[in-house]
Amino acid sequence: MITTSTPAATQRPIRLFRNKAAKIAAIPMILTAVVVFMGGTIWTIVFSFTKSKLLPKANFIGLDQYDRLWSSSKWGIAIENLLIYGICSLIFSLVIGFVLAALLDQKIRFENTFRSIMLYPFALSFIVTGLVWQWILNPDFGIQKVVRSMGWESFSFDPLNNQEIVIYGILIAGLWQGTGLIMCLMLAGLRGIDEDIWKAARVDGIPAWKTYIFIVIPMMRAVFVTTLVIIASGIVKLYDLVVAQTSGGPGIASEVPAKYVYDAMFLSQNLGQGFAGSTMMLLAVLIVLIPWAYMEFGGRQRD
Amino acid sequence: MARAVSTRRKLIVTLLAWTIGIAIFFPILWTVLTSFKTEAEAIASPPSLFFFDWTTENYAAVQSRSNYGLHFSNSVIISLGSTLLGLLIAIPAAWSMAFVPGKWTKDILMWMLSTKMLPPVGVLIPIYLMFRDTGLLDSRLGLVIVLTLINLPIIVWMLYTYFKEIPVDILEAARMDGAALWSEIIYVLTPMAVPGIASTLLLNVILAWNEAFWTLNLTAAKAAPLTAFIASYSSPEGLFYAKLSAASTMAIAPILILGWFSQKQLVRGLTFGAVK
Repeated sequence: MITTSTPAATQRPIRLFRNKAAKIAAIPMILTAVVVFMGGTIWTIVFSFTKSKLLPKANFIGLDQYDRLWSSSKWGIAIENLLIYGICSLIFSLVIGFVLAALLDQKIRFENTFRSIMLYPFALSFIVTGLVWQWILNPDFGIQKVVRSMGWESFSFDPLNNQEIVIYGILIAGLWQGTGLIMCLMLAGLRGIDEDIWKAARVDGIPAWKTYIFIVIPMMRAVFVTTLVIIASGIVKLYDLVVAQTSGGPGIASEVPAKYVYDAMFLSQNLGQGFAGSTMMLLAVLIVLIPWAYMEFGGRQRD
Repeated sequence: MARAVSTRRKLIVTLLAWTIGIAIFFPILWTVLTSFKTEAEAIASPPSLFFFDWTTENYAAVQSRSNYGLHFSNSVIISLGSTLLGLLIAIPAAWSMAFVPGKWTKDILMWMLSTKMLPPVGVLIPIYLMFRDTGLLDSRLGLVIVLTLINLPIIVWMLYTYFKEIPVDILEAARMDGAALWSEIIYVLTPMAVPGIASTLLLNVILAWNEAFWTLNLTAAKAAPLTAFIASYSSPEGLFYAKLSAASTMAIAPILILGWFSQKQLVRGLTFGAVK
């Protein structure tokens, strides 16, 4: 005790001071996050139980807003669209992104230029993406027209005017915009894999695809978590793409929840409906997020 | 990376990759080309790729209909402003999490990142009302604040990953030499983290530049950035594709140029520091 007390005595005030400084340094960030996200979210949830119309008023009416929300066909379509978009964009982004990354990992020529090109769509806003794809998918000048003018007269590809498949038209644009980034992340993950693992797998005579699935992918866990966060945040904020590409049409076939909330608030001046819609979305995200966060971080205490 | 790949296979893979690359790039190229066509040529069939009468009339038309300069300067101010303000808040926070980790650091980081997964509509209405009451609606300052808040988690996360790579010993050496805390951050840490900070800055400028949900909802005319400008072309003039292309090109050109000259930082930024 006596021998160590001298350095400890001089160190402790510094340590203490540093810890305090560290806490102070993090305060602005935590405050903004707490005030805005938690405060705003709780406020929204509370007022979703009120009869607010043009202005938020605290006259509570229980679950009426939710009844109306779920009996609205527009909301039903919006939820269905978000589900389709979410599931498809999750699967396709991951698969296409990984395959492209594996392709690029073969040390192709001009790799850097290729990578930049793949990232360019991501550097465009969803608004521009939506407009460009609205045009490409337009039957009168887009893909359909080009294929037909090449001689295949019966070719038909007109997703944006077909209520059944309009959400897939939006999905294509969304994938075009986002897959390049996923590819780059995956590529970074693949590059992080030790070359010796490939050598060992080859010596053992394991085919390449098996090496990818059973050895490489499990090792890229961290990268997959990052990509999942990015894809998920892209799904929940699906709004601008729809506005630019279809404005929710034809009819209400490509409505999404974020647009429903926006319309309720600004067009039909029915704040209560907007609050209820936001709350449902929050709830949906939490239902997905909590089990995942639990699996990912709940067992952390063990190590 | 000395994996044995035969030349023929390499050629095939390269060709395949480039076909995909060109297909991906084509919509952008097409938009830029169309902006130089007349309206009639823009919807001509079969469309001509390069052989048409190049014209800049669409740009003149777009410029006379709306004030590109104003929207452009709004975009610059909002994206740069929000990024710089974000860095100002995030650098101390990331420093404290990377070098003085506490019991809750990991949880705070995760919790903070998870706010990125919450739907923005959840906080739209309260923020809208707060802005209306404080007169921040349709103001640049308001957008700077909102975009700072929205992108703060990403900024902190990116800086945290970069700071983690800096050896603590160097900071400790500075401390031994008697450097005060703030000079340690400003003169030792920040210069070493410049590449990381540059990537963060670049990525967040682009994210803020492209942010449309908040800019569309919180601006009307005065503070509207380029995203709102381009959105105003989508509905009423939906069929004037050449002008729409010109407007789109004007909106994306700054980013494309910026991206071209800073490819390395951009890739690093976009991949959260995973690619160097």
